[in-house]
Amino acid sequence: MEAESALPKWASEPCIMGIDEAGRGPVLGPMVYGCLYCAVSFQNTLASLSFADSKTLKEEKREELFESLKVNESIGWSVDVIDPRELSAKMLKKTKINLNEISHESAMGLVTRVLDMGVLLTQVYVDTVGDADKYCTKLSERFPSIKFVVAKKADSLYPVVSGASIVAKVTRDRALRNWTFDESAENMHRNFGSGYPGDPETKAWLEHHKHSIFGFPTLVRFSWGTCTTYFKSGTDVVWEADSDLDEDGSVNKNGKRQLKLSSLGFTGGKKNSEEIESSGKGRCKFFQTRKLEQLTQF
Amino acid sequence: MEMELRNGGRTATTITGSNGTINLCPPSHQQTKTVDLTDHVHQLPCCIKSNAPSDVSHYFKPKSSGLEIDGGLVVQEAYFRGRNLQGVTIPLPQGYSGFILGKKNSSKGEAKKTNGRGKAPEISNSSENSWEMLAKCRNLTFWNHDSLPSHDDASLRLFHCFAVAKALHEPVNAEDLAS
Repeated sequence: MEAESALPKWASEPCIMGIDEAGRGPVLGPMVYGCLYCAVSFQNTLASLSFADSKTLKEEKREELFESLKVNESIGWSVDVIDPRELSAKMLKKTKINLNEISHESAMGLVTRVLDMGVLLTQVYVDTVGDADKYCTKLSERFPSIKFVVAKKADSLYPVVSGASIVAKVTRDRALRNWTFDESAENMHRNFGSGYPGDPETKAWLEHHKHSIFGFPTLVRFSWGTCTTYFKSGTDVVWEADSDLDEDGSVNKNGKRQLKLSSLGFTGGKKNSEEIESSGKGRCKFFQTRKLEQLTQF
Repeated sequence: MEMELRNGGRTATTITGSNGTINLCPPSHQQTKTVDLTDHVHQLPCCIKSNAPSDVSHYFKPKSSGLEIDGGLVVQEAYFRGRNLQGVTIPLPQGYSGFILGKKNSSKGEAKKTNGRGKAPEISNSSENSWEMLAKCRNLTFWNHDSLPSHDDASLRLFHCFAVAKALHEPVNAEDLAS
């Protein structure tokens, strides 16, 4: 029962929650964080519901289990679907946000969401992301009223986490199946394979969908190392953000943006450098500060 | 040689400078309607090392973000190679037109056309410095990476020069001179 307005009675008793993710490794599609929660007193019943590590189950079995979870009135669940566009954008920001930080924030977001619903969470079990102790400390500082257990392979140790892993995996699979391409190009298809960079079907999909200017459709996580390899054979793109820093790492005092004539299409064949920067040299202050210069040739 | 592009209309306008020519009259062999790239001219915060045509409209899909900055400018959002871009569309002031120019390829006698939606016209390797008009536009869209567009951006501030040019070139009357 996700996002129901009426809080079940058991939610006012001490509750436990498990958090797990799906789709961290693939180069395509969203990454999903899922959680499952129930009353502490329901724990044993939960253990008997035979969730195993979601990765070992077949897709149909996972779907079945997810549906049975949804109708079970003693169990609550929630997901955070992190769009690949968001992953790419955050990991490619000027001040990069790495995947671990994104993961931690997502997990904490789920805890906050469930607490805000009025559920009396007292224990939360998570699969570790990065250093287990540091993660545990971070979580405990953010939520002092909750006892956190951060463990490797938590999905095989704790039923609440196995359940969360089912929720996450099924949600991710569905999100990928239902993905609507932003792009209107022809000849795009949906045989992504697993989405893992090592999967031959995924590699074939990437090869087929690569674009010399745009790289790939937005389904792809551009921050993945896999992509950099493909870009080498495509058109090079140089970002101002990457070349803005002075030697000491501070931002160029002229400001972040310079009018790059080359991106307006003015590329003189005789110029040495392809990146013509408008320095406004020799002009009065008014033009200099607006990065305008007189063109006598282009 | 100062380049002021006034509304050329349909009369043949040729600006001759010390090095070349720019013909703003649509060549007679092209279709009668001039290609209008209003809303389709984008300046990105990166340098794309290619001048070839590309199917931009299939991949570049700006959407309104719902945010506005000063002057009622709606902030748009788009992605390019995974990076999140935020941009605003600035109309060219009254009395100005934007032209997308292409170099005349002297061996063929006509400039290579883009597919109408390219980011930049194909530049021929002709040694002649002869340009012609491929398309017109009435606005430009400026994109930032990781920062909201602002009136302090160099790209937006360049529009100040239109107001200054106007002030400089407006006729003065005797009263103004006297004061």
